[in-house]
Amino acid sequence: MEYASKHGDGIAFRTLTLQQLKDIHSASCRILDEVGVVVHHDEAVDLLKKGGAYIDSNGRTHIPEALIKRALHSAPSRITLYNRLGEPVIWMEKSNVHFGAGSDTLVYLDPFTGERRDWTTEEVAAAIRVVDALPQLDFVMSMGLLSDVDKRMINRIQYALMLKNSVKPQVVIAEDAPTVADITEMAAAAVGGREKLKNMPHFVLYCEPTSPLQLPFESVDKLLYAAENKIPVNFACGAVEGASTPVTVAGTVAQANAEALCGLVLHQLKNPGAPFLYGFGGSPLDMRTMVACYAVPEVLLLQGCVCDLSRFYSLPSWGYAGCSSSKDFDEQAITEATMFTVMGALQGCNLMHDVFYIESGRTGSLELLVLMDEVISRARHILKGVNTTPEYLAVEAVKRVGPGGNYMGDAHTAKHFREKWQPSLSDFSSYSSWEAAGSKSMRERIRERLRSIMEEHKPVPLAPEVEEKIDAVIKQAEDRLGIKL
Amino acid sequence: MASIRDLTEYVIQADIEKVKETTAALLAAGEDPLRLINEGLIPGINEVGERFKEGIMFVPEMMMSAQAMKAGVDLAKEKIEGVDIPTVGTVVIGTVAGDLHDIGKNLVSMMLDSSGFNVVDLGVDVPADKFVAAVKEHKASIVGLSALLTTTMPAMKEVIDALKESNLRDQVKVVIGGAPVTQAYADEIGADGYAPDAAIAVELCKKIA
Ligand code: B12
Repeated sequence: MEYASKHGDGIAFRTLTLQQLKDIHSASCRILDEVGVVVHHDEAVDLLKKGGAYIDSNGRTHIPEALIKRALHSAPSRITLYNRLGEPVIWMEKSNVHFGAGSDTLVYLDPFTGERRDWTTEEVAAAIRVVDALPQLDFVMSMGLLSDVDKRMINRIQYALMLKNSVKPQVVIAEDAPTVADITEMAAAAVGGREKLKNMPHFVLYCEPTSPLQLPFESVDKLLYAAENKIPVNFACGAVEGASTPVTVAGTVAQANAEALCGLVLHQLKNPGAPFLYGFGGSPLDMRTMVACYAVPEVLLLQGCVCDLSRFYSLPSWGYAGCSSSKDFDEQAITEATMFTVMGALQGCNLMHDVFYIESGRTGSLELLVLMDEVISRARHILKGVNTTPEYLAVEAVKRVGPGGNYMGDAHTAKHFREKWQPSLSDFSSYSSWEAAGSKSMRERIRERLRSIMEEHKPVPLAPEVEEKIDAVIKQAEDRLGIKL
Repeated sequence: MASIRDLTEYVIQADIEKVKETTAALLAAGEDPLRLINEGLIPGINEVGERFKEGIMFVPEMMMSAQAMKAGVDLAKEKIEGVDIPTVGTVVIGTVAGDLHDIGKNLVSMMLDSSGFNVVDLGVDVPADKFVAAVKEHKASIVGLSALLTTTMPAMKEVIDALKESNLRDQVKVVIGGAPVTQAYADEIGADGYAPDAAIAVELCKKIA
């Protein structure tokens, strides 16, 4: 197994033993075989039946292990994502880590006034530009729900905003397959055609089962559309432990893994070799408050299981980072988001989303986003591991400097000091110079950075004719849905 | 010989077997089934509700206690065939059309059930006419609507409109909930109540039933 280190096996975080991986796989296979799933999609049921699944008299679909083996065999073990300019920027394989924002928060926490309010189109566009500007964030998501457009158009307009305000690849939420078709159309216009998009994917589609063990029509429809069009796609259970999945970590992993594998089977039956992203996440129900909570320690363990399983299966992995259950951008938010980010990095999760979520996904905090940019940078530095080649063991330099000497004036120091990690926000100055510069807290520095990005950052624009095509797709959808403006 | 007081304690401990055993034994000894329910079983679940409010007991324990109580009530009911067991009221509940989120709705429905309501759960993705039909069929006094998606919130208003069209609006109270739902939205669409969580939902239903 490969872990997140560039230098040998140095840095590794393993959650499960090989035997535990086999036990989980076996439990998931038993769930698919003995319990079965309910599939609300005729074509999908047909595909599964022809593939060798058994449909019982209650309409449950039971999936034999042989089908899973076949799917694991045909699914690719790596996926490259390209930015809007056609450059490869995300490599989902082994223990590579990538980070991105989240989708569809209900509340915008104004970073300058602290006000909580519904998102407007302009605020979502600005938030996407912030993600575009932050160097450690690798992909964008829709950030917030638009309160000022027709509800049926939210997902499409969010996608147009992502294309217009960032070159980075996206992870996309869509209510149904026709919406995905419109999104595909817009993406194709931006990257230079359908065929190019199919072979150089620019976005990942986010699909979910409805736990426990149900495959709703829309999700399956999107999954099959993605398979057909080679759009990378996941089938990620959003477990609410203790409600939609068992209350134990292992039980949740066994069921969510069964659901993901079931999605994979269907996806590979539709189009063998199409790209599939393995993963799932959880927000356990706090039994005291009845709130589904993000970023608790159990969820970090769950993600460790996802990453180990993904490597066991040779599939790229999907997960979470940089998010919190706290209501504000406060110490709790920073604790949870930092732990998740560092753990996710060590676990080697290929695509981690929801960086900037607070209140377990209901509110979005741009301050948290900016802070996480630096936390990710710190984590990435750790992943480089320790270089122990002779040049780095530096015995020659020790000889030169000798007992009582000083490395400050040695060539080895001059040669390598720039490799050290540098902060973008943290302050390493002395107390007196910090005071002289206005005694600015981290929070003030974060806001300054945000303000300057919001005022100055201009994403690479789309060509005017591409903008027109995108607007035309939106217009056509509005006409089709009978929306009058 | 166990007493009615023990029955209360077994409900609190969520010991289904002991509840069944004791109820059966007391019934065999000629105890009045209604008295068993009202003075033995229900005080147990009421105490559990108190302990929940105080933060000593948690929802899963409350659910187990409710199951224990039910097991006893079912045995007692067999002896009083024909006599109407009073319920606090009938609630028709469901997640509105287009929405598949049901965890919150299930919790509300389980807690209402544990609190003595007769709950008719229509499941998820429930169209307005199904709510109307269920209200008619079960003579419900409360309709509970759940929506977790901003896009499905308007379906709550559609249910209210459909109830009006069928001249049922005056007979039922409509309560709504789900992550994006607010009191302001409830007021806007003319719902009778809103609750941010399951415990408050129960209090709300008790108040307006
Ligand atoms: C679990 C979950 C899912 C699961 C649902 C599984 C299931 N069986 O229900 C799955 C993975 C299937 C799912 C799917 C989707 N989800 Co979802 N999901 C969640 C999540 C993480 C938790 C919801 C939950 O169960 N909470 C725990 C319960 C106990 O709380 P609750 O539901 O709020 O209920 C309490 C109160 O609201 C109240 N209440 C609830 N109902 C009622 C009814 C009455 C009458 C009363 C009085 C009170 C009341 O009492 C409850 C108990 O205390 C939320 C995020 C969040 N933190 O809320 C997103 C969230 C709700 N989902 C979201 C989205 C966008 C989706 C999808 C569209 C995503 C997609 N790519 O497909 C799909 C939609 C599918 C569909 N058509 O419905 C968004 C919604 C944004 C919006 N408002 O429009 C959220 C907010 C996440 C986000 N920010 O993106 N989701």
